[in-house]
Order: sequence, then C-alpha cells, then structure tokens
Amino acid sequence: MVDQTVSGAPEKSVDQKSKEAYFTASQAQLVWARFKKNRAAMVASCVLLAIVLMGLFAPFLSPYDPTIAGRDKEYQNGAPQIPMFCDHNGCSARPFLHTLERTRSIKTNFRWVTTVNTEKRRYVTFFPEGWEYRLFSVQIDLPGEMLDINIPGFRMTTHLFGIEEGGIHLFGTDHGGKDIFSRTLHAIYTSLAVGTIGVFISFVLALIIGGVSGYFGGVTDGVLQMVTDAVRTVPAIPLFMALAAFVPDEWSSEARFFFISIILGFIGWPTLARRVRTHLLTERNQEYVLAARLCGASAGHIIGRHLLPSFTSYIIVDLVISFPYMVLSETALSFIGLGLKEPVNSLGVMLQNVTSADVLLNYQWYFIPVVFFVGMVLAFVFVGDGLRDAADPYSDHK
Amino acid sequence: MLRFIQFTATRAAMAVVTLLLVSFIVFTLMELVPANCAERYLAWKNTQGEQISVEDIRAEEQRLGLDKPYIQRWATWVGNVFFKGDFGDSCILRVNINQLLGEKIWISLGICFVALLVAYLIALPVGIISATVASPALNNGLRLVSYLGLALPNFLLALMIMLFSTMVFGDSMTGMFSKEFRDAPWSWDRILDFLSHAWLPIFILGWSATAFALQTVRALMSDEYGKLYVTAARARGVHGRKLLWRYPARHALGPIINSLGFDLNRVFNELPIVAVILTLSEAGALLLEGLARSNDQQLAGAIIFMLTASIVSLNFLTDVLLSIIDPRVRKSVMGG
Repeated sequence: MVDQTVSGAPEKSVDQKSKEAYFTASQAQLVWARFKKNRAAMVASCVLLAIVLMGLFAPFLSPYDPTIAGRDKEYQNGAPQIPMFCDHNGCSARPFLHTLERTRSIKTNFRWVTTVNTEKRRYVTFFPEGWEYRLFSVQIDLPGEMLDINIPGFRMTTHLFGIEEGGIHLFGTDHGGKDIFSRTLHAIYTSLAVGTIGVFISFVLALIIGGVSGYFGGVTDGVLQMVTDAVRTVPAIPLFMALAAFVPDEWSSEARFFFISIILGFIGWPTLARRVRTHLLTERNQEYVLAARLCGASAGHIIGRHLLPSFTSYIIVDLVISFPYMVLSETALSFIGLGLKEPVNSLGVMLQNVTSADVLLNYQWYFIPVVFFVGMVLAFVFVGDGLRDAADPYSDHK
Repeated sequence: MLRFIQFTATRAAMAVVTLLLVSFIVFTLMELVPANCAERYLAWKNTQGEQISVEDIRAEEQRLGLDKPYIQRWATWVGNVFFKGDFGDSCILRVNINQLLGEKIWISLGICFVALLVAYLIALPVGIISATVASPALNNGLRLVSYLGLALPNFLLALMIMLFSTMVFGDSMTGMFSKEFRDAPWSWDRILDFLSHAWLPIFILGWSATAFALQTVRALMSDEYGKLYVTAARARGVHGRKLLWRYPARHALGPIINSLGFDLNRVFNELPIVAVILTLSEAGALLLEGLARSNDQQLAGAIIFMLTASIVSLNFLTDVLLSIIDPRVRKSVMGG
C-alpha cells in the first residue's frame, strides 16, 4: 500500500483514525472485533473457558481420587452435601458440614444407620494435602516403541479444598462410594481429550481428501466424491457401533480410549472434506485471485496470502462446530457400553447405570453431570455460531 | 421430458453405485470380525459335546462357500440382497436374518419417517415465521430451543423424560407393546396399543430433528428474504402471504428437500441409543444386541445396509422430486 497521508496535514480526526484502523486491520483483528459484538457468544466463550480449565485442572479441583481408590466406604449412594455458613448455633466465616454418625443398636435392629449430628461441625479446609496426581502429564502407552509418549508434568498432592474429617461430596456419591464431583471433572477432561483427538484426525483426513478433490477436480474429484458420499450416507453411530464391537475386552483403558477417538475421527471426515473441497473449488476461481494473478503475484503468494487466510477461519469454525458432536458420540457410545469403560471417567460411563428404576426414584444426583455436559455442548455451539458469523466478512451487510 | 428421463436414470444409476459401495464397506466390516461363520458354528456344536477337527472346519467352510475369494463372496452376498432380498443366515442365532428383522425393521423405519415428518411439520411454519417476522424475543427464544435440541442429545432427553415420569407418575414409559400384545398377531387393538407407546420414541427422535430443521429453514429463508427479487416484488406491491409463498419459500424449499436424506441419517444415528433406553424391541436394539453382546456380523451388516438403503432411496426420491419442482436441477444432470 502507498502511504497517502501528506506530511504537514492537520491532525486526523478520531473518526478517520478508526476508519484507518479498520482498513489496515488483519483478518484476525476483524474477526475478533465482530465476535466481541455478539454478547451470547462472548458469554458462551467465558463459560467454555471455565469448563475447559475445570477439565484441565480436574485433579487439583477434585478432593478425591475419581477411581475406586478414592471411594468413601462410609457414604455410598450418598446425597450431595452443600457446605453451609450458618446453622442453629450461629454463623461462621468458614463453610462447614454437619457430622454424619453411623450407629447400630437394639433400636435399629443392629443395622448400620446414619444419622446427622447437627451439633458437631466439620470445617472445610483449603489446599489440603491429598492423593497424588500429575498435572499436564501425558503418558501414552500404545503397542510399539514408537508411539510411547511420556511427558512427566508436575507431581502434586495439593488440592483446592477438603474437609477436616470424613468426606465432602458436593454432588453426592454413587453406589460404589465414588465422589461424583471428582468424577464429573475428570469426565470433562476425558471428553475434551477424545474430542480433540477425533477432531484432529478427521481434520487431517478432510484436508487431504477434500484438498486433493478440490485441487485436481475432474475425474479424481468425481471418484472421491462418490466415496465420500457413500461414507456419508451410512449412519455414523450404527457404523461406529460395528467398529467399536471389534475392540477386544482385554485392551487397556488407554488403548480403548485411543481406538475410540481414532474411529470417531475416521467417521467424522466426510462433511468437513466436502466443505474443504467446495471452498477450494469456488475460491480458485474468485475474482480477487484473478486480480492478484494479473498484478503479477506468484502462486506461492496467492496461496499464502489469499487462499489460506480465506480458508482457515472456515476450518476453525468447522472444527469448533464439529467438536461437540464428537463428544456426544463418545458419550452415547460409552453409555450403551461400546465405548469407554470403567475405570475411565467419562459422562457415558457415569450414566451407564441410571436407567434402573432404583436410581431414577432415589438417587437423582446421578444426573448432575448431565447439566455440566449440556452446558459444555451449548457453549460450544454458541461459540461456533458466533465464530461463524464473525468469520463471514459479509455478515455486517445482512 | 426426455431430459427428465435421462436425469432420473442417471440418478438411479448413481444411487445403485452408492449402494454397491456401501455394501462393500458393510461386507468388509462383516469380514473383519475375527472367526468366521464355520468356526463359530462348529464351536457351538462343540459345546453340544461333538468332537471337532480341522477337517470339519474346512468342510463346513466349503459348504458355506467361505473358501471362495473375497470379491466373489461379496458379489454373492450383494446378489442375494439385491435380487432376492435375502441377507442369508445369522451365524450366532442360526436363523434367517429376514425372519429376525422382518417386522422390526419396518417398525423402526416407520418411527423414523414419522419423526422426520413431524419435525418438518413443526419446523417449516415456525422457521418461516421466525425468519420473516423481525421480533427479537421470538427469534432468541427459537434460537435457544434449537440450540437446546442440538445440545441435549436424544439419549439424555430420553433419560430426562424417564426421570421425570418416574418421579411424577411412577412409570418409566418404556417398551413398545404392553405385555398382553407383545407377541400377539397384528390386530386393531394391537395397533392402538403400539401407537400409545410409539409416540414417545417419535417425540424423542423428532426433537433434535426439529431443532436441525428449524435452523436450516430459518437460515435459508432469511437468505432468500434479503434478496433483491423479493424487494422488487414488494416494490411492485406484492405483499403479505403472497409475497412469501410465491417467491422465497419456493426457492428455499429446494435445499430443504435436498437435505432430507441427511436428516434421516441423523435420526437413524439416534435410533439405537434411544431404543436401548426405552427398551424398545426394534432394529436399533437388535443391532446393539448383534454387535455388543455377540458380534453377530450378518445381523449388524443387514441392519446397517437396510438403514443406508433407505437413506439412499430417500435421496433418490428427493432428487427426482426436486427435478420436477425446479428445472435448474434437471439441466445440471451431474450437479449435486
């Protein structure tokens, strides 16, 4: 661009400055500016960020080990316990719970009965030392030496909160006495991980297949489209079920987890591939590409400065939009017993037993994780929509 | 007319090719399962106390035609399916697949189609109204509803309904037939009983389909509504319902009809899971049974093939329908 301001010109007005900023802004800045205007999407992105952080710091936030090791034998199928600040004995600045006492006597026919002793308070403690965990550690142990990845991460034993004695279960416990709050946080992490891997794989496949299809066009394109359409017409979940049924029972939970994510990726590519293809096909013949070519721009310049930027925003939006579907597919599969299995925590695994009448009638707190997940998916959908609107350069003119 | 016939023929050929491709995928899946039919059959015999040797397995393989090359077996399978409608026998249950599936697949398909129909009956008017009436409250409300439809997957919805009905009515509303009608022949009473149970799965399956349809209809309508020809028509004094139906609605209908196949695909995705939760005894549950519990690949293959075939035929029908409605489609024979 040629600088058109004449030296010695009077001070530029604010209006002109903002105009200039608008015309010289990079694409990312423009998208961000438009995204900020969308209040729903902004709120959703804050929610999403909170949920993602919760998933990442799950072990730190959860007072108990989410596996059978962290179970509370004294409190099985226990109701949620909400810390309080006040009771009949007055108030305290520190939240506390009442003490549960288990007794048995002739009165109760010698069965264990839990009673709440409202006189004894148990105060919530902050940053107690608890079970050991690793933050940000990645340990992948797949068959073969090549695929073993080991990032040690940080070893820690500190947790956000605990309680003086006994247990604190914000969301109650399940039939094994496992803390549902801790499990929910870990489940969020699992879902995010599955979704990320699945989306990444389908993204790579879609770029390759869609790219080849769109770039070469002609017969190659026709054949590839046939295959893509055939894959697209097969209902994904039944197909997925057929594939997931191959997983041998003796596989470790990690191997299972990766297998499920990989299948998700392999089933998810057709839609994205089609988008990539149509985008390439239309974008190749756009006038601005022709204009750039007539101005003498090299092919590399056109691809790097024009085609790719016109394209990345779409891809990112697509990835964000397809993410929740990956998560939901995993949940559905685990729920019917074909996906992840105990001791891995995922929402589907946690919901496996809730269809029994017993749970439906007496232990409704099994459903608390659902709220989190619906929130997560909704946040994803809103953010994806907001991004789509923001990335569309013509959305202002509608 | 000639062009129309040409178009239809091309589309039919494409549908058949797609089906062949799908059948190949399904067949490959069936073959991937470890242990073939002969081994399984003999393993079962073994449990009955008969001694089995390797020769027996070979002989059995020959009897079942498993020693032939892969492509040939696939061709036989496809031929039987296409020309006789016969999916062969199930390895595990040792019954003909058609007997197993017969009624169930039709019930499943019926439920799915009705769910789709209901979805569009709701989505079309509501979507059109929301796109044309500039009322922020209505739009945001609709947005929220359709987002919820996307975010609350069907199986969670089914669970929620069960939770609610158990808490309120003490009945979890599951099953497809009442006890006395479960194995009874079809009769008027049985149909009524079936309908009294079928509305729930239809509602649940239709829920997310409606959400998707709403979004599609709304987006298409608002795109069309902003176009210049609508403004021109309005300038000529066309207004109200006439303006809507004569122009943008007709235009928006094309892509909607086109997307029907994929909507059906989505409904099928939800079917097995909803079936499991509501303990329905139809194809979705059978599929799960066939896969999860016993690895019955013939059954699974047959079900997946049937579902896909119904999607492909729906796509074919919508293409033909579109070409009748919209001459532009007819002109581009290969255009998808």
